[in-house]
Amino acid sequence: MTAEGAGVLTRARQGDEDAFRVLVEQHSRRVFRLAYRMTGNEQDAEDVVQESFLRAYRQLGRFESRANFGTWMYRITANCCVDLMRARQARHDQSRGESLDGAEQLPAVDRPGPERLAESAEIDRQVQHALGALSPLERAAFTLRHYEGRSIDEISATLGLGTSAAKHSVFRAVKKLRAALAPLRRQTS
Amino acid sequence: MSRHYTDEDLTLYFYGEGRRRADVESHLESCAQCAALYRELADTLALVASPDVPERGDQYGLEVWQKIRRQLPEREACTWFDRFPGSKWFDGFDRFNGFAGFNRAIGLAAAAAVLVVAAFMAGQRFRPGPSNAVSAVIPVSSTDHATPASQADASASKRILLTSVADHLDRSERVLTDIINTAGPGDISQEQSWAEDLLTTSRLYRQDAVAAGEPSVAAVLDELERNLLEIVHSPSRISSDDLEQIRRRLDAAALLFKVRVLGDELRRRNKTS
Repeated sequence: MTAEGAGVLTRARQGDEDAFRVLVEQHSRRVFRLAYRMTGNEQDAEDVVQESFLRAYRQLGRFESRANFGTWMYRITANCCVDLMRARQARHDQSRGESLDGAEQLPAVDRPGPERLAESAEIDRQVQHALGALSPLERAAFTLRHYEGRSIDEISATLGLGTSAAKHSVFRAVKKLRAALAPLRRQTS
Repeated sequence: MSRHYTDEDLTLYFYGEGRRRADVESHLESCAQCAALYRELADTLALVASPDVPERGDQYGLEVWQKIRRQLPEREACTWFDRFPGSKWFDGFDRFNGFAGFNRAIGLAAAAAVLVVAAFMAGQRFRPGPSNAVSAVIPVSSTDHATPASQADASASKRILLTSVADHLDRSERVLTDIINTAGPGDISQEQSWAEDLLTTSRLYRQDAVAAGEPSVAAVLDELERNLLEIVHSPSRISSDDLEQIRRRLDAAALLFKVRVLGDELRRRNKTS
């Protein structure tokens, strides 16, 4: 971190709102990228971005100046996404969330024919549907592993899980995705 | 090697993790069954392509700032604050937890009231005793240089934490006991909901235990967390076999016993301090 960056951080920790604004400006795009990958939804990602910075501001006193602010924000954002997905799940009837048979939950009329499968948009839709059937923790762990290329240890640290719990969240996500996407895989292969 | 690799082994291999990667690689070359499983797994994961993230311009950070500047909350001063039992109420401050009518002023008033009550209870229950009688569950290294007032604060926080962890273990014990006593097949959605709440709290306590240099407390909490996660992720309408599997796992880890013993130990330390 540059001396200037460290100075901004110190001032932000002391309650200087202008300094915090600089941090928001520096990190917003990265936070948005992670939030979008985790939620798969632009509006949700925007909500997560705002909530993550509000949480960061509230907890800035706990932030250790030796740590990396970007890493800290990354962790806050990931956990904000989990909270948002949990809240969504609680508000809606999400019995589908724990099912291994995600593919069966697609309406029959939406099952694609071979010609539609050629369209990558349709594949994306099916994948998004399968991802949407994961539990919040599974989706978060899977996103960090699959899209963000984080190791199990890093996922464990980011989500505050034990290593084994992090690993099993990824395993469960992969298992559910394989079950849900099996018909798609058969038709595309 | 004669045994086949599991889905989990192959998932780790796909992501470049796991031990003995060279062994897996050579096994995949010679075993058609594992190779087919790996191909299927890799093909599926290849379908899950990274989404195109919508672009955000150079001014995006400024836009975010404009949106949040009027909502900037009070800064937290107390590290243990959100570990208090019942702290989930304060999630009402954030937009994701559905306390739509719970306005900020009421939330702040509630926060202040709980702080006052907590401070009062700490004062009542944990009157300062001889310095060598303080429990050592959470060592506070900085007390060597701290003022008497900050030492008293740290000591009170420590004792509140002890009580909180012991209460957390009590609640966990009840959930685990409920699960063990459930007749299968049955509906465990209620227990899963409790387990999910406990999971979040457990995670926070474990982090604190690690930071405080208490590996044995952290180890029990880690084990508890993993088992709670299993419960949360089990089907709500659970079969007798799945239930039996959970029971066997809990028995094998002697988890209920460990949770009970640690809870008693923390309470004992608290009483003697």
